[in-house]
Amino acid sequence: MSETRYRETAHTNGYEFTQGGGYALPEYPFIPPPELQGGPMVRHPVVIVGGGITGLTLACSLARLGVRAVLIDEDNTVGVKGASSRGICYTQKSLEIFERLGIFERIAAKGVQWSVGRTFAGEDEVYRFDMRQQGNFNLSTQPPFINIQQFYIEGFLVDRLQQLGVVELRWQNRLVAFEQNDEVATLTVETPAGRYQIEAEHVIDATGSHSPLRQWLQVPFDSRRGDDRWCIADVRFSTRPPVERHTWIEAPFNENRAVWQHLMADDVWRLDYQMAPNADPEHVSREDVVRERLARQFGPDVQVEIVWVGPYAYRSECVHSLRHGRVFLMGDSAKVVSPFGARGGNTGVADADNLAWKLAAVLRGKADEALLASYNDERLEAAQQNVCVTNRTARFLRPAEGSERLFRQAAIGLARQYLFARSLINTGRMAIANPYTHSRACTYATEQSASRAAGQSVQNVRFSWADGSPGCVNDLLDWAEGDLLVLVFGDLSGAALQRLRRLCFDAPVRSVQVLGPDARPQALEHIRDPQGHLQGACHVFGHAWALLRPDGYLAATGESVDTKLVSAIERSLGLRGEAA
Amino acid sequence: MSIKLNPHFQDADAFYEQLLDAHGGLSREDAELLNARLILLLANQIGDAKVLKDCIDAARLPAPAISPVTTE
Repeated sequence: MSETRYRETAHTNGYEFTQGGGYALPEYPFIPPPELQGGPMVRHPVVIVGGGITGLTLACSLARLGVRAVLIDEDNTVGVKGASSRGICYTQKSLEIFERLGIFERIAAKGVQWSVGRTFAGEDEVYRFDMRQQGNFNLSTQPPFINIQQFYIEGFLVDRLQQLGVVELRWQNRLVAFEQNDEVATLTVETPAGRYQIEAEHVIDATGSHSPLRQWLQVPFDSRRGDDRWCIADVRFSTRPPVERHTWIEAPFNENRAVWQHLMADDVWRLDYQMAPNADPEHVSREDVVRERLARQFGPDVQVEIVWVGPYAYRSECVHSLRHGRVFLMGDSAKVVSPFGARGGNTGVADADNLAWKLAAVLRGKADEALLASYNDERLEAAQQNVCVTNRTARFLRPAEGSERLFRQAAIGLARQYLFARSLINTGRMAIANPYTHSRACTYATEQSASRAAGQSVQNVRFSWADGSPGCVNDLLDWAEGDLLVLVFGDLSGAALQRLRRLCFDAPVRSVQVLGPDARPQALEHIRDPQGHLQGACHVFGHAWALLRPDGYLAATGESVDTKLVSAIERSLGLRGEAA
Repeated sequence: MSIKLNPHFQDADAFYEQLLDAHGGLSREDAELLNARLILLLANQIGDAKVLKDCIDAARLPAPAISPVTTE
């Protein structure tokens, strides 16, 4: 295999607006902060820098748990001005998080649900999948995926934050300098009305792939860049293609390069065309060139309204640590991936949801500060995994000349004939709720026979409340208000019941007995799981307990209510243990 | 399952002959494609991730492998 040297290219990762009608984005007013009106320097428990999908999700999660914070954003709108759409595809786990935050209904009403993906090479379909028939996607109250422009979600989060009123949003507040010591971090912020300083105990860097904080702190990271170039055209059609994700590995209408076809809200289609590595971004995004490309794909008579066009190149980056003193990196500040598989935005949402409950538990005095170290254990593992997975896809889609292209040709040829080879065709592995396999906050079973559930996400499945009305996992998490939840499946001995009561009295833990359709309840708080969906979602069988965290992840599972449960609770509150 | 480095063929000579016959008359390009297809088919027969990795490691040429992409 020969070495391929990529020449230097401009890597934006953000889509640069070049032309098209665009969208009208909401604008939020600049309100001079109290510091500029002669108030004293205030020390905030949490300052979030960056109001993208990650920062806003964290803000909303904190607000829901009653934790005060300040969010500063350099812009006065959601999205990037002009570049209206970035992420478009939101996974079940993200949708479950948004449901908890109270914006899922708006997302579902505006967005487009899809579950069918079809992959083509040349004129032929190589394979197709239907997410609804895969695994347990259909058990959650949220669909497998919803496609919607990212700025809509950001706008919904802003509206929700304004309703909740706990987190202060400061628009047109740009971070220009930063310093920190053992005691506090100091942020210098520039606004249209002048500069001011605030202090923070915890600083969240959600500023994205061009993070200034990462530069100032000289955060070490790994980076990989290729020469793959793409050009997006977001369009509205006179005729509607099917509501499916179509991908071409080799599209005859795009010089045998890859093409993505995906629907978003407002009947807008995202068409993403792979360009020649030496393509000139200005040329490929010129309106007449874009229209010609569309005509090649959809026929000369297609009526198209161009909403937005953006050429881009991607890089992949991953920091070595998500925490630097008082600063927590999340979303694209922590890692940058190619867009294949929706592992950018969805990862940022999960980062935010992971840190939010931990910060809340620490700030409310319910957990030890040490719990915050598990954010790095868990979300760095997720970041590294997502970088690895997307790099593999990128390599399949842009194979180096020689052996890499040869093996792709072999795989595509075999996939047309034989089922087995379809698993090699990699047009993007859709984002998942990343499991945590070595977190200091999870208690992993050591016995060979034990459940491997710790560190796994629990889907938002349905059950029945004691009075027979329907409920779902998110309702339980709401009820727990940021505390840990012990779900005990099956009957309890008198002693176990006693121990549970004492635990709930001593620790920030709530317990619920989960019963079959006819069993007699013993605990005051009980629910029914007639079809065993909740038990299945918790990956346990028979008599068992599951320790569920506020982010819907399992901290531990076990059989009898004993000291193992007690130590698992302590571990998930940062009270014992180092990284496993 | 672990990598087999002792003989495991039922009929090594027959296999070798079939392999050469399959390549008979092929251009270099077609022969390479045949090999690639064969590797993927055989890999699926093995399936086991550890054995596949060990096979790739065992097959590597003595010269140091060159990474196909630049990493910084």
